[in-house]
Amino acid sequence: MSAKFASVAAMLLALIASTALAQTKDTLTIDLPNDAATLDPHLQWNTDSYSIYRNIFDNLLTRDVKGEIVPQIAKSWKYLDDKTIEFQIRDDVTFQDGTKLTAEDVAFSINRIIDPKLKSPQLSQFDQIAKAEAVSPTVVKMTTKSPYPALLAQLVKLSIVPKAYVEKVGDQEFNLKPLGSGPYKMANWQKGVQTELEAYSSYWRAKPPFQKVVFRTVPDVSTRIADLKTGKADLVRDVPPDQAESIKNDANSQVLSVPTERIGYLFINAQGGVTKDVRVRQAIAYAIDRQALVEALLEGYGKPVEVLGAEPVFGYTDKVKGYEYNLDKAKELVKAAGAEGATVEFLTSPAYSRATVEAIQQMVNEAGLKVEISSSDQATFLKRRQGDPANAGGLAFGAWSCACQDVDGVIFPLFRTGSIWAKYSNPKFDEAVDKARVILDKNERLKLYEQAYQVIKDDVPGLGLYQAYALYGANKKLKWQPTANEAMFVMDMSWQQ
Amino acid sequence: MLRYAVERLIQAIIAIFGVLTIVFVVMHLSGDPTLLLVPQDASAEMIAQLRSQLGFDRPIWVQYLEYLGGLAHFDFGISVVQRVPAFDIVVSRLPYTTMLAAGALVVAIGMGIPAGIVMATRRGGWLERLLTAIVVTGQSVPTFLSGIVLIFVFGVTLRWLPTSGSGDFASLIMPSIALGAISMSTFARMTRISIIDELGKDYVRAGRARGLSLGSVVFRHVLRNAAIPVITIAALEIGNLLAGAVIVETVFAWPGIGQLAIQSIQSRDFLVVQVIVLLISFVYVLTSVIADFVYALVDPRIRLVR
Repeated sequence: MSAKFASVAAMLLALIASTALAQTKDTLTIDLPNDAATLDPHLQWNTDSYSIYRNIFDNLLTRDVKGEIVPQIAKSWKYLDDKTIEFQIRDDVTFQDGTKLTAEDVAFSINRIIDPKLKSPQLSQFDQIAKAEAVSPTVVKMTTKSPYPALLAQLVKLSIVPKAYVEKVGDQEFNLKPLGSGPYKMANWQKGVQTELEAYSSYWRAKPPFQKVVFRTVPDVSTRIADLKTGKADLVRDVPPDQAESIKNDANSQVLSVPTERIGYLFINAQGGVTKDVRVRQAIAYAIDRQALVEALLEGYGKPVEVLGAEPVFGYTDKVKGYEYNLDKAKELVKAAGAEGATVEFLTSPAYSRATVEAIQQMVNEAGLKVEISSSDQATFLKRRQGDPANAGGLAFGAWSCACQDVDGVIFPLFRTGSIWAKYSNPKFDEAVDKARVILDKNERLKLYEQAYQVIKDDVPGLGLYQAYALYGANKKLKWQPTANEAMFVMDMSWQQ
Repeated sequence: MLRYAVERLIQAIIAIFGVLTIVFVVMHLSGDPTLLLVPQDASAEMIAQLRSQLGFDRPIWVQYLEYLGGLAHFDFGISVVQRVPAFDIVVSRLPYTTMLAAGALVVAIGMGIPAGIVMATRRGGWLERLLTAIVVTGQSVPTFLSGIVLIFVFGVTLRWLPTSGSGDFASLIMPSIALGAISMSTFARMTRISIIDELGKDYVRAGRARGLSLGSVVFRHVLRNAAIPVITIAALEIGNLLAGAVIVETVFAWPGIGQLAIQSIQSRDFLVVQVIVLLISFVYVLTSVIADFVYALVDPRIRLVR
């Protein structure tokens, strides 16, 4: 009797064990620092929001692992003239309510985001588009205000929303109950707590890798890492370099990292204070040891750069060289400018690494200047940094990414005369970047950006420090290659038992 | 009694109105959310355009009057960041904060008052010294540190409790302890001081002279008299727990009002901040009014008249 019972028990155990082995991972849990602000993809564009909603929606175009722009909802495209481009739309895509995605939805999505009535914070990324119209159920014609080379790079960020649904439920309801054509549909949004997504079984590309995905809101980084180590989370975002080691030491966790298009840079005010003198700005450039910054503060998760740009960004050049670390030259230049002991205000906010700011302060002090850090909250920091040059401080550290991988989104807003970030003006630079944003010829554009980078190098209104790496903590079983544009597509992930 | 209640109510409305106005002015003077909403590469014209669409380019008094106009018929406005009614956002967080405040209060009162009694009646003993050490630690260790230590010990190393979250009772334990620790010390100290105060009085000596044991005097008579200052503290602590949970809620990913407040202030989400301020000042005023009535219940010598 008992032997019989034991054998049955053994069989049961074996059965349980075998199903457990064959079982695939059902729910993927991801810890983000914040909740999504909006899930309407045409409203907020911030990392936490789009990490979630870009899994609900498809984009008109996308980038592959190598960073090339490739088709997604658009099958192909061609320029009819410099300002008109025609997209062929796939006809095998359905939204999560079963309705078919057509060219009408694509045209609607574009016209919606550029409509001032939506008050979209993303408008500036699409405002070069004059209009879009559906020519046939599978063809969309788009017109730009002038020839606009960064158009395709911007359209990578355009989510396609269903016209009929949005018009039926209205903007406010759509934000709370988003519906797209992407691999995951919205299941439950507990604001401030977590967002649960469910696989859309008829997704056109392939079957989504997990039945459920949960994005949790965990603001504190130590807590996110504790969640990862205890298995409460499978993937966590925003791991600071000094915490990477503790994840690596954990038997079940790994660090995933990738060089991004984000550049750590130093702003130097060319229109106010002692840094008005170009010699002082050059001295600061000579005083900074970029290699040391990367090694000491980023623990190697970064790469020193010569210009304010990096390889994943179109327009990046390796022909212009930066300033080498040379403290003697720096001191000489400060002396020649008569600026020894002069005070330079270093603006910052808690959004930027305090250690980096202090390291730069130390380095610049050694050149004979006196750097004083003024820290305020982000809103006040931006108000000063983007305001009147006389009040914009002498230095500021930043980490720039336009998520468009085009230099037009980097050095144009940073240094073009009249731009809010620019405390600098040079007609030679303006001419080059103005011209480069209205021609479509790639080689011509590259040449112009090389000229522009040379001007910046000589004038030093800002200084590229390093290319930042994105760092994620992940369960060892998660297979995923993060990308340069810091996107988080669950569709690209998989689980290995 | 009625007159007292009406007077308190009018005082409360004036106080809340004053707080709202100050917060409105300070928030608006320190920048608006537009700069935080736009992508980095937005041009000055784009920013100006969005600012005017959102209405932040109008004079501050116009915005203030409009806000008051909305308040008059309970319209708290729509969050510019989330595009959802501000009131709904705050209300959805309220249960979490209430739960955490209740948990912390259980820890604070459940441990603080007994500790205070023991410390007052066993003066000079080893037990008092031990409890003093615990109370001082609870008071002086900042919550961001105690929170992380708790997570590391009970979450990561021992795996007894979940490291973060808000879904079940187990995830309430650590945040309640971290948040309740400081209040616990306050309760312990206040209880101790007021009992010692009472122990020196004549009625205690008379009771002891009649042959009553110390314990019986304390539990029958002293506690009741010593309760008044403790009730005052309790009223203040409830307000503090509600407003002061910012760090604990951030460390434990607890989605309460404190976490929401800090995020909304950082993103200059004015209307959400205003609702939170309104709520917290309301709770402060309400608890202090309730405390006044409780005094009268506990100690008939106190009358609610002027």
